[in-house]
Amino acid sequence: MAKGRQLKGRIRSVRNTRKITRTMELVSTSKLKRAQDRVVSARPYAEALRDVIGDLVTPELAERFPLLRAPRGPAEGGPRRAAVVLVTSNRGLAGAFNANLIKEARRRIETLEAAGYQVDLHAVGKKGGGFFRYLGRKLASERQDIGDRPTPEHAREIVAPLIAAYEAGELASVDLVHAHFQSALQTPPVTVRLLPVETPTPRSAQRRQHDYIIAPSADAILEGLLPLYIRNAVYRGLVETAAGEHGARRTAMKNATDNAGDLIDILTRTYNRQRQAQITQEIAEIVGGAAALQG
Amino acid sequence: MADRTMRVTVISPEAAMYDGDADSVVAPAFDGDVGILPGHAPFMTLLGHGILTVRGGSGARTFRVRGGFLQVVDDRVRVVAESVQGESHAA
Repeated sequence: MAKGRQLKGRIRSVRNTRKITRTMELVSTSKLKRAQDRVVSARPYAEALRDVIGDLVTPELAERFPLLRAPRGPAEGGPRRAAVVLVTSNRGLAGAFNANLIKEARRRIETLEAAGYQVDLHAVGKKGGGFFRYLGRKLASERQDIGDRPTPEHAREIVAPLIAAYEAGELASVDLVHAHFQSALQTPPVTVRLLPVETPTPRSAQRRQHDYIIAPSADAILEGLLPLYIRNAVYRGLVETAAGEHGARRTAMKNATDNAGDLIDILTRTYNRQRQAQITQEIAEIVGGAAALQG
Repeated sequence: MADRTMRVTVISPEAAMYDGDADSVVAPAFDGDVGILPGHAPFMTLLGHGILTVRGGSGARTFRVRGGFLQVVDDRVRVVAESVQGESHAA
């Protein structure tokens, strides 16, 4: 009998949990839609920048720009420090989303450290920062105030000090680890090299043939645009991670809701079977008792 | 020349703010305003900050822009600005 009541309690508890996970799933679905729109509408800007920089960059020009040139390795007296920026979400319950990002970041840090660099870790989002602090690793910077709606301004704040440090020759490289939003179901972590800038190649050879009137000069334009390009890469990282978080949470919560449903089915069946068994047993006892009296 | 138009897109980091045909574009370049008419030679310049005016058949639209660049190729004008703000209709 006590077992029956326990089962009832569990059914009720699972049912309540399912209510929560289902709500979270719905919330994520609607947030995902908006975050996805933001990813899509950020695309034209990135494409335009990539086109133009691809048009302007020539190997000779690249040699002159510190942002494009790889510094000397640590063995030849180059900078010994490298920076990794890890973007994670502020909230959990999104499946393996943050764990995957953290794993990717650790891999990158290990590679850099194996190459003899001292790695500065910059964490964006509570989850990544929390994990590395738990490991006892010192974070070079951390911020948790960027929520669902990252702005280009956020990206600028994150990357501006890194660009400055790179230009000053203190950093050997800057990597960004973020989620790549392929679809709501596919949000694998990726590492993007921010600095030195990997110059985009012009999409087609024919584009280069335009004989531009360029004012003030290709140098000056590149100088103005490279920081925008880097900033935009960070902005994209932030936006895609925000969208990826909602996608991952929706999937995780959908699975949780489905599992809760299965669990309720099983528990209900067990409960009914047990109730039936008890009734049958009681009848048997009564019949047995009556027979004994008559006997 | 007169019946030619240009395809103009105004793009900010967050979104494409405008995409349509226009007869003329006046943009704040780094060293002063530049006017673009259909048939302009391929052109690329840095933007300063100020008011961008896109004039089309139906009227003019203005944006406040800052930073970025302007690119003209084959009657396609691309204004890519670091920040594009508000838009007001003028006669």
